[in-house]
Amino acid sequence: MGKKWKIKTSTPKLDELEKGPWPSFIKELKTLAERKPAVEHLLGQMEQSYETNTNYWTGTVLNLDGYGGGVIARYSDLAKKFPEVAQFHTIRVIEPSAFVYSTKALRELCDVSENHSAGILQLHGMTGDILMLGSTNESMHTAGEALMEKGWDIGGSGGALRTLACCIGPARCEMACYDTLEVTKRITDTYISQLHRPDLPYKFKFKLSGCANDCANSMQRSDMPIIGTWRDNIQVDHAEVAAFIAEHGVDFVVDNVITRCPTKCITLKNKKIEIDDKNCVHCMHCINVMHKALAPGKDKGVTILLGGKRTLKIGDTMGSVLVPFMKMETEEDNEKLIDLIARIWEFWGENGMEHERVGEFIERVGLGTFLEGVGIEPDPQMVKHPRTNSYIKFEEYTKPLMAGEASKSPLVTNKEVEGKETA
Amino acid sequence: MATPGKKMAPRDNGAPDYKKYLHPLMVKNYGKWKYYEKVKPGVLKHVAHSGDVLYTVRAGSPRTLSVDTIRKVCDLADKHCQGFLRFTTRCNIEFQVTSAEAVEPLIKDINEILGFPVGGTGNSISNIIHTQGWMHCNLPGTDAAGSVKALMDTLYEDFINERLPQRVRISASCCQINCGGQSDIAINLQHHHPPKINHANMQICELPKTVAICPVAAIRPATVDGKDSLMVVDEKCMYCGACHGQCPSMEIRDPQTDSLAIWVGGKTASTRGGPSFMKLATFGLPNNPPRWPEVGDAVKKILDAYKESAKPYERIGEWIDRIGWKRFFEMTGFKFTKYHIDTYRYARTTYNMSTQVRL
Amino acid sequence: MATIQIAGKNIEVDEDGYLVNLEDWSEEVANSLAASEQVEMSPNHWEVVNFLREYYQEYKIAPMIRILTKEIGKKLGKDKGNTKYLYELYPGGPAKQACKIAGLPKPTGCV
Repeated sequence: MGKKWKIKTSTPKLDELEKGPWPSFIKELKTLAERKPAVEHLLGQMEQSYETNTNYWTGTVLNLDGYGGGVIARYSDLAKKFPEVAQFHTIRVIEPSAFVYSTKALRELCDVSENHSAGILQLHGMTGDILMLGSTNESMHTAGEALMEKGWDIGGSGGALRTLACCIGPARCEMACYDTLEVTKRITDTYISQLHRPDLPYKFKFKLSGCANDCANSMQRSDMPIIGTWRDNIQVDHAEVAAFIAEHGVDFVVDNVITRCPTKCITLKNKKIEIDDKNCVHCMHCINVMHKALAPGKDKGVTILLGGKRTLKIGDTMGSVLVPFMKMETEEDNEKLIDLIARIWEFWGENGMEHERVGEFIERVGLGTFLEGVGIEPDPQMVKHPRTNSYIKFEEYTKPLMAGEASKSPLVTNKEVEGKETA
Repeated sequence: MATPGKKMAPRDNGAPDYKKYLHPLMVKNYGKWKYYEKVKPGVLKHVAHSGDVLYTVRAGSPRTLSVDTIRKVCDLADKHCQGFLRFTTRCNIEFQVTSAEAVEPLIKDINEILGFPVGGTGNSISNIIHTQGWMHCNLPGTDAAGSVKALMDTLYEDFINERLPQRVRISASCCQINCGGQSDIAINLQHHHPPKINHANMQICELPKTVAICPVAAIRPATVDGKDSLMVVDEKCMYCGACHGQCPSMEIRDPQTDSLAIWVGGKTASTRGGPSFMKLATFGLPNNPPRWPEVGDAVKKILDAYKESAKPYERIGEWIDRIGWKRFFEMTGFKFTKYHIDTYRYARTTYNMSTQVRL
Repeated sequence: MATIQIAGKNIEVDEDGYLVNLEDWSEEVANSLAASEQVEMSPNHWEVVNFLREYYQEYKIAPMIRILTKEIGKKLGKDKGNTKYLYELYPGGPAKQACKIAGLPKPTGCV
């Protein structure tokens, strides 16, 4: 470093965060403040927040031309005191699948950040985007232009397909059951218009994990988790099993593998592992513990879930099963997935209310209704168990009304239900 | 207001081509990895069917990076890793080398040149994921980045070692939207009263949307001083702040009363019992910048109890499921109060509907 | 708060140039706001603005984009009932730029 912090804004509170062994984001900002006045004022404003426990950013929406999102615009409420952050916007940039980079690519991003904004990059935001902090109303355009010239593209915001994210997948993980990196890129590229020029009721996030360990955190932070799995038998290397038992002992295997199986489908007989694969729910635990001896099966694919989100409004939700198993290898498999996404967006887009995530929509209209709407047959794997309450509406589903649309609700009729005797 | 970029047309470039950014050994062994081994905390060894070996060294980062630091990161990757690197979901940086001998020189440079610790693998506390806070959000009641930095200082030894019963994932969120996510331990801001409405500045809001966004239907139209505005039914309001995001004139934050709560037992993997939501452990911690010491103390209590009594491979939520909440509150010393009992949707499903009690 | 002068009248706008008082809107004001956005108002541009205003007057909210694209498709032909066409008319986006010219409130935050 060498250079000394010699900026006139004093930040005694923030200085406390330079102490300690963990790398300090305040140090990062101070390095930049030596040449970026905006960062000095950012520190000044943050110091005031630290003194008053008050936030000083007003949010709004700004666009690059031809794009409906991707710039997170912030105006400082303290612009008089800190004019350099009067406008201090973040540009979201679509990250490469699995967050892999060449140093050339990273340096490119550094140059754009240095030349057109504050020189701060966050790697990465909660959605997955590269966040480039500190453009103004003017420089966001030149930054956007510079990024796009180099082949980068702007991420999603608002009621849009949001930037996707995925785990390291087959690039470096033996547990990956499908190509998370490629499918992430496919969905992004196929639906790039929906990411840039959105017409959805609200945001829609995908996160892709190669197995049930869910390193992309898809279950609870994406509307559509796509998670790798398999439908044949766990691959067992008996020699490695024996080596594992020899190393750790039988008790360890019983305590940490056999009894931890959620469906009790593994048994240990004569120091050999037997698996009742029909009852395996592909949770990955035994494979995680004995990762040299056990591996996912060979007939791989994905389980697709729907409806995960964070707390806002109805509280946290996890994704729930929509497609128990689907192959994800060939061009046709990809086409099927792309088509499924289109059907979901069509039905939710037509019937969802403004600011209603797809999980909230499903909760409002019912999963049964939703399945009918997107053309998927009900499957017992979609529920923990069938309903326990006996109040069943057997009539046709009534389409939710759009704002201003007149009610055309049909009369309730006794519809023939399979297996049900009607008068 | 001129927009100088006017000529710019949307390119729709799409996602970057990840294939250009993969380490050569990843390209060669794509989809053909056989197994991995833990070499030591922060170092993984991936072995491919071809016999190729790739060592990954994981370093913690502050997430918010200056271009100067990123350029240094690039210098290291150029020097040691053939010009390639990656980041993890939890904002760690992963450097990859192809021989065991290359590991220690790399670690030395990471520690000395970047000042970043190596760790975050296996049964450790990985980097804390968090929200924007006072640096760049328009809604925050606290600064997640600051409390995270202070907390990681406290938990540093558990990042660089693998000495916990199982991995522990932590997140921090600066308002009740909780963008930080489900985690084993979460530090989240808590509001304590209904929004304060600035009736003089309601014309900037679309009132029907603000009414509609309230999850408990507590917002109603009202006329105040002859102008269209809204009112909040206080006894219905649960202080979630959904209206504040829709309408900035419905201020939910309060520097005097906002506090922090700690949640435990969230898990996203479908392993064993499946994913789980986090539950309230303790609340009312002061929002106390710059180092939020009360947060560190509370998290340490949870981790001490967890280290003492969890079995191997038990995540925090699974450990509590086994020992029961009674014991959890005894061990941590947190007081169980009526506020720990759910009052929202499906609250009743969280009651103990059995005679199974620990006596 | 800044003010802009249109037809001899002082009109209050916010930092992004949105009308502070929605009742200040007139066709002249719209033309002036459009000019500041470098948008030249054609009859098709007016269709969008008129629909936004009608919808806002009835419901006090801006329509969801899907409702807007459908309506424009009905009025101007199916090939124009999509977001791509809306962004051709208003490169700054229907939510931001068209709403501004129509005198609707500024869209808020990112959550």
